Amino acid sequence: MDKNILLVDDDIIQLKLYERLLTNHGYSCATALSVDEAEKILEDRIPDLIISDYEMPDKNGFDFRKRLLQNKQLRNVPFLFLTSVNDEHFIQQGLDLKAIDYMAKDIPPARILSKINNLMLAVREHYERSLSELKEIAEKLNLRNIPRKAPQLQKFSINYYSKFYQDQPGGDFIDFVRVDDRYTFVILGDVMGKRWGAWFFSFSFLSYIRSAIRLCVYNENYSLSEILSKLNKVLFADELLEDIFSTVSIVLLDDQEGRVLYSGAGDLPILKFDNHEQGLHSFQSSGILLGFTEQFPFDETEIVMERGEELYMISDGMIDFEMNGQKKSDLELFKGKLLGLKVKGVSTETIKDQLFNKNQAQVDDCSIIIIKRK
Amino acid sequence: MNLKKEKINDVLLITIEEREANLSKAESFKDKVLQDIQSGETQLVISFKNVTYLDSSFLGALVAILKNLLPLKGQLTLTELNEDIQNLFELTRLDKVFVIKDSPETATS
Repeated sequence: MDKNILLVDDDIIQLKLYERLLTNHGYSCATALSVDEAEKILEDRIPDLIISDYEMPDKNGFDFRKRLLQNKQLRNVPFLFLTSVNDEHFIQQGLDLKAIDYMAKDIPPARILSKINNLMLAVREHYERSLSELKEIAEKLNLRNIPRKAPQLQKFSINYYSKFYQDQPGGDFIDFVRVDDRYTFVILGDVMGKRWGAWFFSFSFLSYIRSAIRLCVYNENYSLSEILSKLNKVLFADELLEDIFSTVSIVLLDDQEGRVLYSGAGDLPILKFDNHEQGLHSFQSSGILLGFTEQFPFDETEIVMERGEELYMISDGMIDFEMNGQKKSDLELFKGKLLGLKVKGVSTETIKDQLFNKNQAQVDDCSIIIIKRK
Repeated sequence: MNLKKEKINDVLLITIEEREANLSKAESFKDKVLQDIQSGETQLVISFKNVTYLDSSFLGALVAILKNLLPLKGQLTLTELNEDIQNLFELTRLDKVFVIKDSPETATS
């Protein structure tokens, strides 16, 4: 959680004074000289706190507050009045508009800063408490979109890692469906979006994927393209998921024959490190995002793996990087890093540590599944 | 979400005036464009000339807009994608789903 504050005051000198006071103490400020200007800023980003003057031409601070209270995205953003209009009647009116405080501009700046610091601390503590309660409930209900452990197989070993964005669960999901001693499905998906919204919908996708696999397998159908086709049709028909899309990579491991089959929908290529060539091979499915169109011919590919070779399934967060304040998606950069590590012969654990954007700021959930042919 | 809109013949050209097209902008972008579709705009071109980074939330919003447009026999063309964004569309096969053109002139003609 950041410390972003929106300051609204028609007096530019006051605005600059408070901006300097706050930025000198670690806050990041956006400033607006009018309610209209403030609303334009709010269309773009939601701050952690709004501080507004009362007396402003056109719309005043109370008008601004009333408009915010009608906006479901903004009504819960903490709001403070900071104004020279300090008549008791106005203070009461301001507080009645669910403002957290009504501060007079003649209060010494140090005290204003302390009040803001205390308020931000209380908001943060409340946020962390809520987050931890939610996590606890999810844990109790066994709601997990990342499993606790991978199945132990004879011919393959599976390692997987997933890291949330800003410590909040997100849309990446992983699942293993071990049908019997012979067949295991490995699934990596990514619901488009971030944080709780994506996390919530990941369970719908997970349930559908599990059902599609189980139903096909029940009919002794192990065709990945048919599983994806059926899954896609059901998702297309589900009105609740009308505007929600997910990528998915599915790998079927045959633990008897050592065979590997792969199919995907809108996913990033699966990478294999070839021990002989000391190079990476990409396997790209032809499938598009699940649920976009009713009929789509999904393909499937057999990936030949020799003993000791590794396969990498990745979510898009793994190829998102932030460097020098610039964000970018760069699969080639990711491949270069992975190849460098493989050529050096480092362990799977080191690969994970190095690939998890150690030196770059993370910008999305990151997940990787590493399948090794024993 | 800052958008510039121009009507060129039957086509609504929407230029995204942001460097990052991300989660915080995806919902308001989708709502604004869906409003345009509801008001009868079915030939849309979206220009990414100012966008340097696009995340999966925004990609999802674009796909949702297209899904809404298809039953209306509308068309959504994307243009002026930088190399990274173009690559992302190709990597996820979204280049098969969207019509992608190099310039607004070819997109609106």
